[in-house]
Amino acid sequence: MTNLKLCSKMHVMLIVSSVLIAVGIAVGLICQFVAGGYFNYGDDYKSYKSVEVSYAFVDFSDEDNVKDICDEAFKNAKISYFESSYGDTSLGGELVFKFSKTVKNEKLEAVAQEITQKLNVADTGLSNASFHEVETQLGSEKALVYGAIAVASAVAFQFVYFAVRYKLTMAFAALLADVHNLGIFVSLLAITRLPVGSAAVAFAVLTVLMTMIGCCFYFDRVRKNAKNEVLSKLDSFELCDLSVRESFSSVCVSAVGFAVACLLVFVLLSISALSVVGVLAPVFCALFAAAANIYGTLFFTPSVYSRFKRIGDGFKADRAAKVKKS
Amino acid sequence: MGKIKSAIITAIIVAAVLVLAFFATVSFPMAGTGGVDKYNSFIRSIHLGGGLTGEAHTVLYPEGVISSETYAYNTHDDEEKAKEYAEKYEKRGSVYVEKDRLGDDENAFIENVKNDVKILNDRFNEKGYSSYSVSVQDVYTIRVTVPTNFTYAEYKKYDSSSRSAETGKISRTIEYLSRSGELSLRNTDVGSAGNNNILTPLNADITSYFKSFKKYSSAKRYAVKVNLTDKGSRLFEDKTNDIVTNASSDKAVNFYVGETKLISLTVDSAIDGKNFYITVDNKDYAEDYAIILDSVAHGNTLSLDYGDANDIQIVYATPSFGEHAAIYLGVVLLLVLLGAVIFSVVRYRKLGLVNALIVVIYALALTVALLLIEIQLTVVGAFAAILGLALLCGSNMAAFEKIRSESKKGKTMQSAVKSGYKALLTAILDLHIIIVVASLLVTLICVGAVQACGFIMLIASVASYILYWFTRFMWFVLSSPARDKFKFCGFKREVPLDD
Repeated sequence: MTNLKLCSKMHVMLIVSSVLIAVGIAVGLICQFVAGGYFNYGDDYKSYKSVEVSYAFVDFSDEDNVKDICDEAFKNAKISYFESSYGDTSLGGELVFKFSKTVKNEKLEAVAQEITQKLNVADTGLSNASFHEVETQLGSEKALVYGAIAVASAVAFQFVYFAVRYKLTMAFAALLADVHNLGIFVSLLAITRLPVGSAAVAFAVLTVLMTMIGCCFYFDRVRKNAKNEVLSKLDSFELCDLSVRESFSSVCVSAVGFAVACLLVFVLLSISALSVVGVLAPVFCALFAAAANIYGTLFFTPSVYSRFKRIGDGFKADRAAKVKKS
Repeated sequence: MGKIKSAIITAIIVAAVLVLAFFATVSFPMAGTGGVDKYNSFIRSIHLGGGLTGEAHTVLYPEGVISSETYAYNTHDDEEKAKEYAEKYEKRGSVYVEKDRLGDDENAFIENVKNDVKILNDRFNEKGYSSYSVSVQDVYTIRVTVPTNFTYAEYKKYDSSSRSAETGKISRTIEYLSRSGELSLRNTDVGSAGNNNILTPLNADITSYFKSFKKYSSAKRYAVKVNLTDKGSRLFEDKTNDIVTNASSDKAVNFYVGETKLISLTVDSAIDGKNFYITVDNKDYAEDYAIILDSVAHGNTLSLDYGDANDIQIVYATPSFGEHAAIYLGVVLLLVLLGAVIFSVVRYRKLGLVNALIVVIYALALTVALLLIEIQLTVVGAFAAILGLALLCGSNMAAFEKIRSESKKGKTMQSAVKSGYKALLTAILDLHIIIVVASLLVTLICVGAVQACGFIMLIASVASYILYWFTRFMWFVLSSPARDKFKFCGFKREVPLDD
């Protein structure tokens, strides 16, 4: 990282970011009209189909036998569920198998009937399976709206704090970093159609917090280097590049922590859930947050800030020249 | 600092950390109870999100709708009943609907279910759950899913009394929030005898009396705060005066939703203010009463009746991330901690051990905070804790690297530490101020899982700043006995040519 030169590559960064955000908006808007939502509202907001299997202890002593019967029926029908759960009921237990909305009703109804027949060998009438269609409302809007208000307030606070404690150009660059990283995160969610729920809102908030941590480390280095007698004589591009190199490890540590945790969560929770699909949403949200933070804070922001700095320095020099002249 | 002083301080701190770590992680049977009562460790007593300990779900059946299971159970081996049911019900997907409800009114019935879902969605939204859903199931019924909020001990049934308390809370919440009917104020002595003892005039609009119902808590006392409009204030003054003067046995204003009495305001004197408080037993009661009363007071009444509490069967399902998800998430957090410890020891030798100790203290501090403040830990909350850890390690690493660069200038270790920490004083303070304020804003403004995340970040950032300075103290304590302080830190002293 000793030869990292990013500031001269601002145009590349701008193109990459603009394309990513534009594609995100385009996919989101198309899906808004075609697929019923800017995002793929999953998790808490997911509509799905299900087969619910209720059984009585007089028919089956534990859920494993019932699950085997169900799994065999699903296998025969060539359909697969994305999530299953088990719970106790007053008479025995209940197994719920969730399917995506694309699975045909007839297939699920037929499977439910087949399972009911297999469960009712003893003819007690207590064990049966039924097919359901669940249409979930866009609930938890409060999480989304309040999350947006909180992020906006936090970003505004950071801007004011930076403007007072650092410099106005740094405040604008930090503001841009927050908005940019959040934009990248949101675009990645829209492009990949990852299920969005309250967890995604929380990860969006974490993305902004992570960006704030990175910006503090980076702009502190810029501030310190600008005060250094030797380094202050450097061109704004060189100064910004040097600051990136010096703050690289501190900025990276949170994103690396996130990425490592992502990997571990993906492996271990996939084993726990016996399915990769259910774990994808939090893992990818965290991965997107880490990627947006590394790219935005270490690559995009310094390159844009170097221009801000150059403009600021030029303005300062002009003013000084005018004062001197007058 | 002398060797003995250093050893004593180190021993005290390490012993305190070990004792805390023991109680935080180890559960054991309580002595003298024959193994019946069990001490549950801090980790086992932290409330976990729906993805880790499962969700509770129920299906609300409107009057006139029954499930296929109920139909099959009631008609099995009973021909007469089967005939009666066949005449009475018609199959609609997976449910059976009374024929009277169908016909011309069927669309209106379906529309009523949809509207009720919206109202229920708003009511459950007020609970601030980390995740929940209210859905239309099979067109005619409503499915409600909420997180269980179990601790690991409750989830695994190690602590059955607490589990019963939690399940009791869930069933009561679902029962209260799914109440049908309008709000009415009643008193058996002075209410209108011909109109269910209702206190308000026959043609009055009840929604015009109330501004809001809010939960209120102060010093572990809980209440529902009722805010009145001007009209409501005049009504309450009038009616409570009436109760004080004329009521003989019933000295209360009873709040009914439909035909169910929810709470009563005992009246000792006339109420003439714009608000008053009705004391309840605990915060959950206060919250549930406030939500349902606020909803019905603003005209959001359910149009269909969903039966009484006995009809509601709640199923506590296994978590979506698998039965052992909580254990696996614990392993993830442990591995991340271990990674931070190994990295710092490899990079900074004995100084890394100081950082390792600080990392362990951070983990324990967060565990205790989660336990005491009863914050629900979800998968995303675990990531917030990891971000907090990164903040701490990032701050410490920045300090270590600064001191390394200072030591390369030929300074003594003591001087390098002093100037290194001094150089980073404002940077670390600025960083923590920004993160603390941002987390505080998220905690105060957001709800559910996002709020929990903000809270965890708030605690983590405060802990990070305190531990940042504690690192310096521990560095000083642990490195005091070391002869070569540069070797202790894994640094190399660059001797200037002048020397």
